[in-house]
Amino acid sequence: MRRRSEHLPFLLPALLVTAVIVLYPALQTVWLSLHNFVLFDPDNIRFVGLGNFADILLRDELFWISLGNSLVWVVAAVGLQFLLGLVTALLLNQSFWGRSVARALVVVPWALPSVIIGLMWTWMYDLNLGVFNDMLLRAGLIDAPVAWLAQPSTALGAVILALVWQGFPFFSVMILAGLQTIPATYYEAAAMDGATRWQMLRYITLPSLREVIATALLLRMIWVANSLDVILVMTGGGPGYATHTLPLYAFLKAYSGMEFGYASALSLLMTLLLLVVVASYVRRVAKAALA
Amino acid sequence: MKRRTLMTYSAAAVAAPMIGRVQAQAPTTVRWWYHFDNPQASPAELVAKFEKENPGIKVQAESIPWGGGNDYYTRMYAALVAGNGPDCAMVKLGNQSRLLQMKALEPLDAMIDKWPGKSDIAANLWKMHQAPDGKAYYMPLQYVVLYLYYRPDLFLAAGVQPPKTFDDFLKAALAVNKGDVAAFGMRGGAGGHDHWGSFVLGGGANFDKGGMLSPKALAANRWFVDLGTRHKLFPASAPTDGFRQIVDNFKAGRTAMTIHHIGSANEMVQALGDKVSAVPVPTDPDGKGWTSFGDESNAVFAASKAKEAAFRWVSFLSGADNNVAFNTFTGQLTVSTSGAAKWNLHPKRFVDATAASTGLMGTLPNDTKTADFTRTVWPQQMQRALLGQITPDAMMQSIEKHFHG
Repeated sequence: MRRRSEHLPFLLPALLVTAVIVLYPALQTVWLSLHNFVLFDPDNIRFVGLGNFADILLRDELFWISLGNSLVWVVAAVGLQFLLGLVTALLLNQSFWGRSVARALVVVPWALPSVIIGLMWTWMYDLNLGVFNDMLLRAGLIDAPVAWLAQPSTALGAVILALVWQGFPFFSVMILAGLQTIPATYYEAAAMDGATRWQMLRYITLPSLREVIATALLLRMIWVANSLDVILVMTGGGPGYATHTLPLYAFLKAYSGMEFGYASALSLLMTLLLLVVVASYVRRVAKAALA
Repeated sequence: MKRRTLMTYSAAAVAAPMIGRVQAQAPTTVRWWYHFDNPQASPAELVAKFEKENPGIKVQAESIPWGGGNDYYTRMYAALVAGNGPDCAMVKLGNQSRLLQMKALEPLDAMIDKWPGKSDIAANLWKMHQAPDGKAYYMPLQYVVLYLYYRPDLFLAAGVQPPKTFDDFLKAALAVNKGDVAAFGMRGGAGGHDHWGSFVLGGGANFDKGGMLSPKALAANRWFVDLGTRHKLFPASAPTDGFRQIVDNFKAGRTAMTIHHIGSANEMVQALGDKVSAVPVPTDPDGKGWTSFGDESNAVFAASKAKEAAFRWVSFLSGADNNVAFNTFTGQLTVSTSGAAKWNLHPKRFVDATAASTGLMGTLPNDTKTADFTRTVWPQQMQRALLGQITPDAMMQSIEKHFHG
């Protein structure tokens, strides 16, 4: 009992900072979500209880469309980022001339601001000037330029590809760091036993990286699920609702409609969905800390 | 009384009149928010000139990111609600109703009436800026009127004239819509409501209750959507094209017509020389039509403690020579009648097309829902209609529902 009270003064500064920058905004979001709060109408703010949530879940078609798009967005973007990151990390773990430069260069997409990436990829996809259409036309793979961002069938995939490019270095760096902790003797022993490269990957590399991969996947899922900047710049959620995801919806409700109450309720619902992932991550971190 | 206390009081007694004098002489600071499309442009010279003419006033000009209007207004509303807003700011008519709802605007009528430059701004401009309650909260600063850009060389080759009516437009568009050239660079992304408005509001729709669902309104919208879906007169990228795409497509010869304003005229001429000209947007056979009046004004905020100084600054910017200088930064048109007489910043044919369009100019409703309509509702519904996901009539029903429930 005495020991616990001795810890308190040391924890207090961190707890206070957390309360101010995390707890207060979170509680304010809960408060906003229970009100009809329109920023340009401060005289008519009123308590609506769970009304915003009921409207979203029972009457808002766009919420369900956005939720579906968000699921595709997270699974496809994180999955592809992981695969590309894994392949890149395995390559960068080999010995070759210029490896240090390659390792430095692979981080470039991660270091670029999202808005720059969004604009860059928008022009790469451009119907008339885009490099994609030019290359595909020259290769004879398409007969006429394709409006990648203006067709519902291609828009979400096109934006996901841009995000894959931005995010795969995170996996590369994490996995590369993990690879370097695997003792070379494991591979030497496996080679002596006649294991193929595929068997080494399956029975040595991937099991050794399990913790790293799980942590990276969980973190990236949280970030991607929350991200809207690339979509906002590239399509604004269009064409129609083709790239309309939940965080974008909440953003547009808040900053276009100025409906902060409704947007807060959307954000809270998204948070509840993400809590499943966050809980897994926290459990994993806690387990590692106790180990 | 202790010696130290006595000395403190004495020092304070000596210093008090000096402090008072310093405070009396301290200039009034006017915080002004502005946004320019061109990040290189700076109002510093105008600020220096104003401060020289008004030694008691300092202007703190703060450049606020525009972000398509969203960033600018979100910051403005948040600052005003938090009690930390500027004294005055550049504003647009589309946001006037929201600012009025917030009781954020100071009526300027009394100050405008005393302002010597009032008569140099045309009466119709004052009228356009008037709020629904009849008061003047905005000080006109610059304006543009949208017109139709067209390619005279392509029209000549196709044997058609620049369109005057909607029927002319369709005939001309079908004639020039060849190969890699799409007839009309339609803006389906944010800001494209101006294109739609020229044809659908011009064709009979309006924002009054039921105004989007009248037979004339529905027919006009069907006709407009058909231009893209049935006649294929728009580029394939039209549903998400924004300002940059429509201008670049036109400059690169991939479209034969588009709608924009004089702000892009110099850029168009630089790329196309004599192969670009402009006419008013088409109308119905009776000459009834609609084109967007794009304004930028200044407002003084009700919470300002320096309202008179703020008005002096914003009226300075609307005065003849200063307003001409201001518009060299923005590429738009001066609101000053005497300034317009010596205007030489754009080729004459575009100034003429602007002048010829003033009879058609209109604005979107002064309604708190207008900003969300232009930013979100219109692009989403227009894109869905162009992609065949909803019918043109369903699009109009969504717009009607947005404004009238």
